[in-house]
Amino acid sequence: MANPALIIDGLSVDFGGFKAVDGFSTVIDDGELRVVLGPNGAGKTTMMDLITGNTRSTGGTVTMYGKDITNHAEHEIARAGLGRKFQIPSVFRDLTVFENFEVAVTKQQGVFGNLRFGLRASEKEKLDQIIELTQTSDVIDKRAGDLSHGQMQWLELGMLIAQDSRVILLDEPTAGMTQGETYRTSQIIKALKGQHTIIVVEHDMAFVREIAEKITVMHLGKMLAEGRMDVIENDPKVQDAYLGSGGIH
Amino acid sequence: MRLSDSPYVDVFAYGMFIAAILLLPLVMDDPFWLNRIAKYLVFGMLGVAIALSWGYAGILNLGQGLFFGIGAYMVAMSLKLQSYTSLQQGSDKPVPDFMLWNAEPGAPTDLCCIVPGSWIWQPFQAQWFGMVMSVVVPVVISYILATAIFRLRVSGVYVAIITLALVLLARLLLIDAQPLTNGFNGLTDLGWLTVAGIEFDPYLTATYYIIAVSLSVVLVLARLLISTRAGLILQSTRDDPKRSRFLGFDVATYQVFFFTVSAAIAGFAGMLYVIAAEFASPSFMDLTFSISMVVWAAVGGRSSLLGACIGAILINTIEASASETELLQESWRAVIGLIFVLVVLYLPRGLAGIGQETVDWIGRKAGISGRSRSGRVTNPSAAE
Repeated sequence: MANPALIIDGLSVDFGGFKAVDGFSTVIDDGELRVVLGPNGAGKTTMMDLITGNTRSTGGTVTMYGKDITNHAEHEIARAGLGRKFQIPSVFRDLTVFENFEVAVTKQQGVFGNLRFGLRASEKEKLDQIIELTQTSDVIDKRAGDLSHGQMQWLELGMLIAQDSRVILLDEPTAGMTQGETYRTSQIIKALKGQHTIIVVEHDMAFVREIAEKITVMHLGKMLAEGRMDVIENDPKVQDAYLGSGGIH
Repeated sequence: MRLSDSPYVDVFAYGMFIAAILLLPLVMDDPFWLNRIAKYLVFGMLGVAIALSWGYAGILNLGQGLFFGIGAYMVAMSLKLQSYTSLQQGSDKPVPDFMLWNAEPGAPTDLCCIVPGSWIWQPFQAQWFGMVMSVVVPVVISYILATAIFRLRVSGVYVAIITLALVLLARLLLIDAQPLTNGFNGLTDLGWLTVAGIEFDPYLTATYYIIAVSLSVVLVLARLLISTRAGLILQSTRDDPKRSRFLGFDVATYQVFFFTVSAAIAGFAGMLYVIAAEFASPSFMDLTFSISMVVWAAVGGRSSLLGACIGAILINTIEASASETELLQESWRAVIGLIFVLVVLYLPRGLAGIGQETVDWIGRKAGISGRSRSGRVTNPSAAE
């Protein structure tokens, strides 16, 4: 564990007495693909909100590649190399697919540095690869708001790739997808493995089996278990937590 | 790929518009109407400012009259001091006539101290100072205002309410400062803009050209600005500010920048209006005027700079014609209201929307498709 990508230490948030995330800790290695599981209300999405700066934590720290990013502004955390995909696809609906990618691939942050026209050669090369990977060339000049649900999810994934984040957080990337679409998504995520550190929150167990290496199970805002798929499935604590919903399917 | 997405269509449309306003004096030799059109071109510039902030940044500013008014007053102060009457008040230095009426008995007839605070007028003795301030003051004020609003992530209708309240507040202060501003009466009886010894009588064709050329330049620069990467990022913050933040952009910076550019255009428009209309009045900061600007932009098409500009010119022309037609003298306001309602109901993209659809229709008929921003032709290879 020479260079962990993300160290989460005792992360907590208190919503007026309700602790949605309560002393959650884990270490995610560089290049790892981590799946976070947990029943509804376990605090998975809140945990992502805390890491990305969307919600301010009330305790604990988040360290990314040795840099403390706890409670920094969203755009600062993003610039430090963290990208996030939302549960409900979040794309720029009135821009074309290409323009969405164009915004995402922009390295320069400020207004004045961006008073320029056209694409740089390096940007163009990167976008060509992403369009290939996400298979969006058919819809490249379409308004993003006119895409199908699956295409919109891939567009958002593509934007994260264009952004070139070292760490990518994916919140239920296959929500609402057909089987075929889910399969394609797992292929895209597999293609990212190795170049990016990826954290996925997901309910779809078939999908999890397809991609998972190491799994973290959350329950009531805390870490319940961590390990490989087969270990997790046979963990009695995990089975207890899921008992209401009949165990992991 | 729709033809209207092609950049060449835009170049053509902007080119046609600019050619039309530049050639207009050749066919219209009535100085009264030319002066009138010049004022409408200024309103067209306001349409551009509104479209930039409302259409492209998603910021509805209901107080654009604030910046227009400030721009107008700044240059009007200079032109007031240049006027013949200001030089005839029994002093060797210019003093505005209304200050004498408002001065206490025995006050020295000098800008330094004729009424409390009148020293503020002193630098305006230089015409260039008033002209520069017409843009600088709106920029400074809008920058401070926008920084406060957008750093706190105020958005949507709240921005509209704040700006609306501010323009009314400014109007109140302006009227209240009667000895300094001539209050409700505004600044009238102004001198003419004088550049290199040439006086620009508002009814001269040359004055029309100052305004027409200014509008052309503003229109082209604003159009170029929104097609830069920064302009694209701005539009992304309008669609989904959260996504923009998570891509690493400080959304407030973009909003502040474009809000300020919009205010600068409005201030510049205020300056040009005074040159053409020879007065500045608190009515520039009336609520109805600021809301009218938004209506012009909505009718023309707020997501098109040129559309909003043409909308402003068209509505004002219709308004003038209707209010002077005997039949419509009583009802012309209803005519304007009706146009607005129809546009909102049936043409959400305004007149610009009709233009785009027409172009697309021609494109389909003629089998022409433009070249898009992506530079890709959709799509020969992936027809699997």
